[in-house]
Amino acid sequence: MKVSFLSDKLQEKLAFLNHAVSIRGQLPILSCFLIEAGKGKLHISSTDLEIGITSSIAANVEKEGKVAIPAKNFTDLLSNLENKKITLVQEGEVLNLTGEKVKASFQIMNNEEFPKLYEDEGEMIVSLKPEEIMKYFQRVGFAASSVETSRPALSGVLFDKEKEGVVVVATDSYRLSLQKNVFKTTQSLKKPLVIPSRVIRELMSIKTDGTIKVHVSEKNNQVLFLTQETVLVGRLIEAEYPEYQKIIPNEFSTKTEVGREDLLKAVRIASVFARETANIVRLIIEKSKITVSANSPSVGEDAVEIEAKTTGENNEIAFNAKYLLDILSILDVEEVVFEMNNPLSSGVFKIKGDNSFLHLIMPIRVQG
Amino acid sequence: MQDYKDTWNKILAEVELEVSRANFLTLFKRTQILSIEDGVVTIAAPSAMIVDLLQRRFYEVIKKSTDKHVGENSKLVFVPKTIAENIEKVHDDPNTLFANSGVQKTSSVARPPRVRVDYTFENMAVSSSNQLAFVSASTVAKKPGDTYNPLFIYGPTGVGKTHLMQAIANEVFKNKPNGKILYTTSEEFTNEVVEAIRTNNTQNMKKKFRDLDLLIIDDIQFVAGKERVQEELFHTFNTLVDKNSQIVLSSDRRPEEIKQVEKRLISRFSGGLTVDVDIPDFELRTAILLIKAKKYDCELSIDAAKLIAQKASDARGLEGLLLRIITQAQALNKDIDESLISSVLSLSRDEKINSFHPDELIKNICNYYNVKPTQLKSPKRDAFLVRPRQIAMYLLKKEVGLTFVEIGNLLGGRDHTTVMHGVEKVENLLENPLVSEDIMRISKNIVDKNVD
Repeated sequence: MKVSFLSDKLQEKLAFLNHAVSIRGQLPILSCFLIEAGKGKLHISSTDLEIGITSSIAANVEKEGKVAIPAKNFTDLLSNLENKKITLVQEGEVLNLTGEKVKASFQIMNNEEFPKLYEDEGEMIVSLKPEEIMKYFQRVGFAASSVETSRPALSGVLFDKEKEGVVVVATDSYRLSLQKNVFKTTQSLKKPLVIPSRVIRELMSIKTDGTIKVHVSEKNNQVLFLTQETVLVGRLIEAEYPEYQKIIPNEFSTKTEVGREDLLKAVRIASVFARETANIVRLIIEKSKITVSANSPSVGEDAVEIEAKTTGENNEIAFNAKYLLDILSILDVEEVVFEMNNPLSSGVFKIKGDNSFLHLIMPIRVQG
Repeated sequence: MQDYKDTWNKILAEVELEVSRANFLTLFKRTQILSIEDGVVTIAAPSAMIVDLLQRRFYEVIKKSTDKHVGENSKLVFVPKTIAENIEKVHDDPNTLFANSGVQKTSSVARPPRVRVDYTFENMAVSSSNQLAFVSASTVAKKPGDTYNPLFIYGPTGVGKTHLMQAIANEVFKNKPNGKILYTTSEEFTNEVVEAIRTNNTQNMKKKFRDLDLLIIDDIQFVAGKERVQEELFHTFNTLVDKNSQIVLSSDRRPEEIKQVEKRLISRFSGGLTVDVDIPDFELRTAILLIKAKKYDCELSIDAAKLIAQKASDARGLEGLLLRIITQAQALNKDIDESLISSVLSLSRDEKINSFHPDELIKNICNYYNVKPTQLKSPKRDAFLVRPRQIAMYLLKKEVGLTFVEIGNLLGGRDHTTVMHGVEKVENLLENPLVSEDIMRISKNIVDKNVD
């Protein structure tokens, strides 16, 4: 292999590629990059067997070839080089790197051990803009369960077909985020998909100016996200997603409109005293105000009042402050709508003037 | 499905020998046989990348073993598929979204596992020896996590530690049926930790223990010397205390006296309230007998109860005696009266219901001969020490029933042959009235002290 390229071009890709480098690294090959030179391009791949990333950059390829080298060393070295031309040459069991004033050589691992990330690209489902992905998936993805649960489906994000469009849902069974109309339902989306939330997280850190194409390979049980230069591969979770429609209440006895920033600040203040008591904050909803309060017998208590426009009954509910902070800080809108029925059934946040999104939180039962 | 699993496990066991450990753990661990049909073995692996590696690099290895276990010329087909194992529902949290919407809750019938219904505060007899423990336990049960955290109960065996702890569990459960309550022993805790490490599944175990509202661990002293278990306990402890969950522990000695336990753990044990439960006094023993008698539906006069209460020192011993008396009465079809009781009791006297703690025995021997326990355990072999030491060996063997090795360890790390010699020596000396009288007095001292 002999190939030369500009180090800056590669540097920006390496950060992302490192996301798929196995950290625990029981298998040495998984802490390696697979570097392939061919047809005017240099491809670099990494995988931890759960997800895989391939990026390519334009390069001057004099001799094609394929090597696997330790990812960490390669990244660290490259990140310290300024924008200079770099040449990689394979000589036997060693990959030599020459730049201006720099020389390095890497021991090569057997590239046969490196797994193939994907067999075929599968069928295209949809093509999305990066802004859309950021906007929609950020609101939803965080609600997926991050710990291993007895329900594997909950660690994923559901893409469900509905008449008006595809609905994206995530839940960890204490809260649920739902975004409607993410894209038009297409023929190629044959059945609902459950994509691991980790893949969704990585998807949000793909940097691209163009669009991101979503492909699904049913045969290989894989989902692929393709941009001009980068491919992100993940597996699909094969598990029945719980029936989320059933738990979303249709009617509410209390509805209140409140400034998002105001509520966020109030919850932050209250959470100071909630830390010792399982993070419980109470919302007392009245005609023109919401009182957010928390108390901890050994530390003290506080209450913050904020303005709100309430219709329906006065009501009261308690939540885990973390869940409130999560949703309120992720939405970037002026006003949110909060709806509820009673202290024991879930409360729902919506965006004012936007019916496509909702976030549902299970309350905490408070005694006395 | 089960057959496939067995077959696959056999195949994996062979594969494990052929491939490197890293490869085995990362690639083979989560694979499974989906089906075996017409010589085609379908194997599922979690991701397409793993499938690729298995196919390209390990086909031959797997094939060799499959040929052996499934049949010659079997074909292997790999598919990427995650099989969700352990779909056993870990007790569903009723506070979650789906449990709420789904099937009706059955928690009103369910009970915390391993907690006996009949151990409550109501049917516990209280006297000066256990009053403090009783009051603090009932306070904790009323306001778990708010008052004394952790509550550490210690005392010798058969004084009601377990009863108190189960009563706490029952009370908390009654007030808050949705609360997550776990009653376990330190042995079970150890097993869980070991099992989790073995199956590489510490996540689930952590979740199980750190997500509780009330954790009760009985006989905590048994974690001594188990470092990894202590570490796990330490972290569990911190997490639970941080989120205001109640912890209740019991032991047979004060926290500071538990040996081979890390200091930081000990200091946490004694961080809340430490209460002791003493051996029940005579009145309490009588009361316990009356309560137990009621439980077994038999009539027992106070005088009869007093008579029995003299004979055993702990609640379990009392219950044992009582049961024997009841059975005897039923067998002879007689009422329980004094003559019946004394006939049963005289029998049991010989069977040494009064077994005593080795330390106590050593203390008594030392008192009798006027030497110090440290001297008894020291390597010195002065004449005035040797005899008491040998008698200690003899009594520890005959009365307490320890093994030679244990006795050796107890007496300053002596070899078991030394102990054997000592016991033999004393046995020969027993013909000498002076020696036998010594021994009788020592044993009697202890028995009297215990029963009194």
